[in-house]
Amino acid sequence: MYVGTVHSSCQRLLADRKLLPPGKRQKPPRLLDDLDQYLFVARRGTWTLLCEKAGLDAASAATEITAFLGSRPSQSKHEAVTACIALFNRLSEECIDPNPLKDRTSDSTFKKLLTMYAAYLELLKVGGSVPQTDFALLQQNAVALLEENPDAARRFKHIIVDEYQDTNSIQERLFFGLAKGSGNLCVVGDDDQALYRFRGATVENFVRFPERCKTILGTAPTEIPLVRNYRSRPGIVEAATRWLNAYAWKRESSEGYYRVVEKSIQPERSATTASVTKPGRAKSEVCCAEVARFVAGLVRDKRVTDANQVGFLYPSLKSAHVTRMIDALENEGLRTYAPRAQPFLATAEATDMLGLFALVLGIPDMGFTKGADWLSFNSWLRAARRRAIQLTTEHRGLAAFVTERQAEVASARSDFDRLSRVAEDRKWAKSDAFDAKRMLRVFAEQPGLSGATVRNLLSRRLAFALERRWAANRPHTVLYVIQRATAIDWSLLDLFYRLTAFPPFPEMFASAERSDDPDEGPIANLGLLTQYLSRFMDRRAAIVSGELLQDDRFQRLFFFGYLYALYKRGESEYEDAEDPFPKGRVPFLTVHQSKGLEFPVVVVGNLRKDDKGATKIERLVRPLIDSRNSEPLDRLGEYDIARLYYVAMTRAEDLLILPEYKGAGCQINEEFRSIVDSAAPLSAAANTVTITHGKISGAPGTYSYTGDYLAFRRCPRQYAIFRTFGFVPSRSQTMLFGTLVHRTLEDLHDHLIRQRATA
Amino acid sequence: MNADNVESLLEEFFEANFAEIQADRGQALAPYVRDTAFLQVQLYWRRLRDIAERVTETEVRLLLGGQRTPEGRPFTIEGIVDVVREEQKVTLYDIKTHDAAYVRDNVDQYVGQLNLYAHIWATLYQDVLQETAIICTAVPEVVREAMLSGKPELEERALGAWQPVVPLPFSLDNVKQTVEEFGSVVDAIERHHFPPRSLAALQSREVGQKSRFATVICRNCDARFSCPSYREYATGSHGTVESALAVYLRDYGDDPDREDFTSAALEAPVNLSDDDL
Repeated sequence: MYVGTVHSSCQRLLADRKLLPPGKRQKPPRLLDDLDQYLFVARRGTWTLLCEKAGLDAASAATEITAFLGSRPSQSKHEAVTACIALFNRLSEECIDPNPLKDRTSDSTFKKLLTMYAAYLELLKVGGSVPQTDFALLQQNAVALLEENPDAARRFKHIIVDEYQDTNSIQERLFFGLAKGSGNLCVVGDDDQALYRFRGATVENFVRFPERCKTILGTAPTEIPLVRNYRSRPGIVEAATRWLNAYAWKRESSEGYYRVVEKSIQPERSATTASVTKPGRAKSEVCCAEVARFVAGLVRDKRVTDANQVGFLYPSLKSAHVTRMIDALENEGLRTYAPRAQPFLATAEATDMLGLFALVLGIPDMGFTKGADWLSFNSWLRAARRRAIQLTTEHRGLAAFVTERQAEVASARSDFDRLSRVAEDRKWAKSDAFDAKRMLRVFAEQPGLSGATVRNLLSRRLAFALERRWAANRPHTVLYVIQRATAIDWSLLDLFYRLTAFPPFPEMFASAERSDDPDEGPIANLGLLTQYLSRFMDRRAAIVSGELLQDDRFQRLFFFGYLYALYKRGESEYEDAEDPFPKGRVPFLTVHQSKGLEFPVVVVGNLRKDDKGATKIERLVRPLIDSRNSEPLDRLGEYDIARLYYVAMTRAEDLLILPEYKGAGCQINEEFRSIVDSAAPLSAAANTVTITHGKISGAPGTYSYTGDYLAFRRCPRQYAIFRTFGFVPSRSQTMLFGTLVHRTLEDLHDHLIRQRATA
Repeated sequence: MNADNVESLLEEFFEANFAEIQADRGQALAPYVRDTAFLQVQLYWRRLRDIAERVTETEVRLLLGGQRTPEGRPFTIEGIVDVVREEQKVTLYDIKTHDAAYVRDNVDQYVGQLNLYAHIWATLYQDVLQETAIICTAVPEVVREAMLSGKPELEERALGAWQPVVPLPFSLDNVKQTVEEFGSVVDAIERHHFPPRSLAALQSREVGQKSRFATVICRNCDARFSCPSYREYATGSHGTVESALAVYLRDYGDDPDREDFTSAALEAPVNLSDDDL
C-alpha cells in the first residue's frame, strides 16, 4: 500500500521493482525540491548558459524576462529566476513540448523563454553526476513509466485520491493511468476549496470527473455527496455560503456551472451564540488593538487551550496589516509565530546563531554593491556579527569557545597551504597516487603543523585506508590525504549544536520545556535552521576543509552563495510546508497554508484582495492546452478570490472575526459587505461566546513502536527535538546504515519470492 | 538456486541502494561503515539462507488502527516485519541491525513489540501466528575476525556458532497493557510533554551494558549540549563549570567516528563550483 503525497508516490513508483522485469531496476533521478530547483537555476553557470542558449543578453536578460512575465520590469536576477521557474513548472505540468512550439510562436521573448525551457530540460538530464528532475517533471516521469509498462496499471487494486480539486492535468493522467487496470478510482474533494491554479490545478478535473470516468474508464462513478459540515457553527457555514453565492458561476456559452452548485452545505452543529463577529470599524491600529485585547482575554481566561488555537489568516503575510496586528498582539503580552512574514534569517534565533558562525568563520570582503537585495543582506549579516560580538562579551565561556574555533579555522587553512607547498617542492602532483611509505612521514614531520593535522596524518584509520586502497590498486591521491588531514573536526551542524550550550540558546530550549506558559517558537525556528544547514552540507560542502578555506571559498559559498539565496528568496507563501504550530504563540498563516487545518477562533485579517486578472503565465499557457471546459480567463482572478476567502472562513470552528479597517485603501471586497454588516460586534461577543474547550480532534496519528514509542521512552526530550521539532542530527551514518541494510534485504527477499513464483 | 548468483545479485542490489541513498540525501557512508553494512547482508544470506528462501512477504507494514489513548485521542500503531507463511504455521520476523547478544540480554525491551505485532497480525488476518523472532544482523567480532582470516574452516566454524535469530515466544495476554502504555506515550507526545531524563537516569546502567546511559545514549545525542540534565552530569564531576563545559564541547565523538565522518564527506559527490558565488 502506498500512502503519501502525489510526489512521494511518484518517487516510489519510479523505484518500484514490481513494475520492472525481475533483476532489472532503474535508478530514479535525483529530485530537486523547490529550493534546490531555485539554487540550480540561479547558479551563475546555469543561468548564464540558459540565457546564452535563449539568445538573451546576460546584462538585460532579467529586465526582458520580468517585463514579459511579471507585472513590472526589474533588473533583479532573483525575480527573473523565480518567474522562469514558475513558467517552466507550468509548462511541465501541462506536458508541453517546447521544441515544436517555439517555432510556431510569433512573440520573440516567448520564443526565447521556450528555448530556455528546452535547455533547462536538457541540463537536468546531463548537468549533474546523476540525472535530475524537479517536482513537476517527476510526475511526467511517472506517467511515462505507466504508459510504457502495461503491467503498471495492474499494480494497484484501488486508487484513492484526496483533495482532488487540486489536481493538474498530468496528475489526472497519472490517476487514471493507475486505475485503468482495476477501474477502482475513488476521489474526494471540494471544488470550492481549489487553491492551486498557480500550480496548474484545474478544478474542472473535479467538476467534470463523472464525464471523464465515462470517457476514460467507460463507467459512471457513484457520487456520494458529503454536505454535512461537522466543523463550524451554523453562522460560519451560512456566512461562507453567502460569500460564494455572491459570485456568478453560470457558464456563459454552454449549459451548467463552473462549480458544483447543486450542493447545500448543512451545519451539523446547532446554533448557540454568535459565531461571526467584527470589531468596531476604525483605523487599522484601533481595530487591531480591539482584536488583540479580545484574543488576550481568551488566552488569559483559558477559554482556548493555547494561544496557538487562534489562527490569523491573510491572503499574503507581506502586508502592513500583518505587522500592525502582530504589534497589537505583542502589546497585549502575547507572542506570535509568523516565520513567513519576514525573511527566516531575520528571526532572532537564526540571527544569533548565524552571527556566531560569521564570527567563527569570518566574513570575507563583500565587494561592490549589487543592488538593494545585496545591501539589505549585507546589513543583516553585519548586524548579526555585531550581535555575536556582544554575546561573547557577555559570556566568557562563549568567547573562549569562539576563539578556539577561530584558531582551528586559521590552522586548517595554513596547514593545507603548508602541505600543498611541501608537495609542490617535492614535485608530487596533487593527483599523484599517495605512497604512504614514502610520503606520510614527510608530511607529518613538517614543522609548524597544528597538533590536529599531525594527529590526523598519523591516525591508524588513515594508514589502514591508504594501505587497503594501495593494495587494491586504487590508491588515494596526494590531494585526498591533504584534505583529510586538514579537515576541521566539526561540521556546521556540530558547531550549531555546541553553540546551543551558551546563552541565549539554552533559554530558547528551556522556554519550550517549562510547564507554565511554554513558548515553542524559538525551538521551532532553531529546528528549521538545522534543516537549512543540513541542506547546505548535503548539497554543497559537508565538511569545512582546509582546501575550501583557501581564499575564503567556504565562507563565500556559505554566506554569499547559500545564505544570500535564502535571504532573497524568502519563504514561499504558497507551499504547503509542514510548518510547526509552536505552543504559546499565536500563528499567522497564509490562507494557502491553512488548508486542511481548523482553529476554534479564526481572524481573517484582510478582507480586501484585488482582482488582478489572470497571470501572464496563465494567458500564455491557455492557447496551448485543451481549454474547452476551463473557466474563462477574465474570470480566473475573481474565482480564485472567491475560493480563497471561502477556505479562510471555513477554517473557523466556533468564532470567526472579520475586521474592517477605516482609512484610505482599506475598503473591503464588495461581496463581504452584507456578511460584515450583519456580523455581531466583538465587544458583545466577548462575554457570550463559548469556545469548545480542549476538544481533541483531527486525523489519528500513526506511531511506530521503535521510532516513536521506544524512542520517547528512551528520552522524551531527545524525541521532541529530533522528531517533533525536526532538528537534523549532525551524524546520520547510523540512519543511512539501517536504511541500506533493510532495503538490500528487502531486495533479496523480493528477488527470491519472484524466483519461486516463476519457477 | 545458485548461491553464487545470489551473492553477486546481492552485491548489485547493495550498490544500487547505496547509490540511490547517496543521490537522494547527498550524503555518503564512510568506506568502513559501508563495508560493515555489506558484511551484514552478505552474512545474513550465508547464515540464514534457510529463512531468506522461505520468506513469503517482505517489509510488510502492519497497521493497527482505531485505538484511543487514555485521554481520548485516536491513534494508529504501525510496525514493519517479514513473514514466513507455511502450510501449518506463520512466523513473523523483525529484522534489526542490532547485536544478538544485546537482544538476548534485553529481551524485555523486545517482547512487548513482538506481542503487539502478533496481536496486530491476529486482528488483521483473523489468523494466529505460531512464532515470532528477531533477526539480528550485526556481525559479532569473532565472526568478523574469522571472515578476515581467509581460512574457510575458521569462517565456517564461526558462522555456525553465530546465533543471529532470537526466537521470542509471544503472548497475547499482556497486549492490552502494552497498547495502553503506548497510548499514554501518544498522549504525552501530543500534549508536548517532553522532559529530559533525570540526572539519576543518566548515571544508571542498562542491563547488559557496561556504560552509563549518559555514555551510551547522550554522548551520541546532539541535544546534550542544550540539555539541563546532561550539563549537570558533565559538569558535576569536574572542578569548575567552565572547564568541564570546555571538555564536553571538545568531544566530537571517538576518533574513529570523527574520521568516518570526514572520510565519508570526502567520498561524497563533489558538487561545488564558484558558480554558487
